[in-house]
Amino acid sequence: MCVTRAGKVVSASHGRARVEFFDGRALDDVDVSVVDAKTGTFVEVFGNLALGVLSPAEARRRRQAWTEVARALGAPRK
Amino acid sequence: MKADGVLFHAKHAFMPNSLGYCGPDEKGQIQRDLEGDRSDEELVQTLQKFEAAYPFLKLIAKSAGRQVFDYSVPEAYWIGNRLLDQVPVSDFYSFSHHEIRGRDPKKVQQVFRRLDGTAPPHHTFYVMSTYATAVVPDGPNVTNEARRKIAGVVDDCRISWGTVRKVRKGELQVEVRRVSLDDGGLSLTRPAVKSVRYNPEVKPFGAVRAGDVVSIHWNYACDVLTQRQAKNIARYTDADIRLVNRLMKSDEGRK
Repeated sequence: MCVTRAGKVVSASHGRARVEFFDGRALDDVDVSVVDAKTGTFVEVFGNLALGVLSPAEARRRRQAWTEVARALGAPRK
Repeated sequence: MKADGVLFHAKHAFMPNSLGYCGPDEKGQIQRDLEGDRSDEELVQTLQKFEAAYPFLKLIAKSAGRQVFDYSVPEAYWIGNRLLDQVPVSDFYSFSHHEIRGRDPKKVQQVFRRLDGTAPPHHTFYVMSTYATAVVPDGPNVTNEARRKIAGVVDDCRISWGTVRKVRKGELQVEVRRVSLDDGGLSLTRPAVKSVRYNPEVKPFGAVRAGDVVSIHWNYACDVLTQRQAKNIARYTDADIRLVNRLMKSDEGRK
């Protein structure tokens, strides 16, 4: 099942981007054309499509949530 | 624990995992087990690491008083069956807040409030409602190209189904109804034929033939459905679309 994942665009070109997610993973070739995201933008990704842009405050909240999950699990996620 | 429930679940979880969209990095284990028709403890442990799918199974199983991998449980989640109707709204609400990692609590509240507690713990509803509550810039005024992409990802991510018209090597020609997005919301298109991948090493695809109805996830044929399952997935998908369109008709659902 697909879950939405929040992350940061670390590089972008022609509507495609590499996104590093707060869960520690990353995806290349995310389609960011719908949200017109640039490098440094926080995005919400569904499958391989960025559907939303997150404010820095919301991004901090999401990152903190993942940190707490990783701590609760006893080991950081990859 | 019924082995066929494990494999049924694995078949539907396989493709998004292999694409890196969810679940653990299991280095090909799911595919090997599916091809070997093996349902062992190692596969179960892998499936338990999926961030959303496994918690959903636990929710449905608890409400129905069944084991998590009883066939009817993943069937309810991926395809739809009456077990969905047995999940108390209060349990699903609490689950949505506490079990789905990283989901915005405000969006969860919006979904339940706007739908008067009728949200089902069905995979397709989860997929479609995720789009409906995403912060899409320009909201309903997105361009046609953006709509096409959004409808495409929703269509790929939900479990769709179709009737096999032709069997080719590694590819099925399947008559399907895709998801469409326009001013009226989500809907299904008229039937059209598209190609999906399949793995003949995975049972029962070695014997798949024209006329079979298959479930599809990310353009991959997961399983051959029974007539009952084909009716159920159509029925539950229609219900999901109606609910999500109600959600989207509210400005609140878009914020």
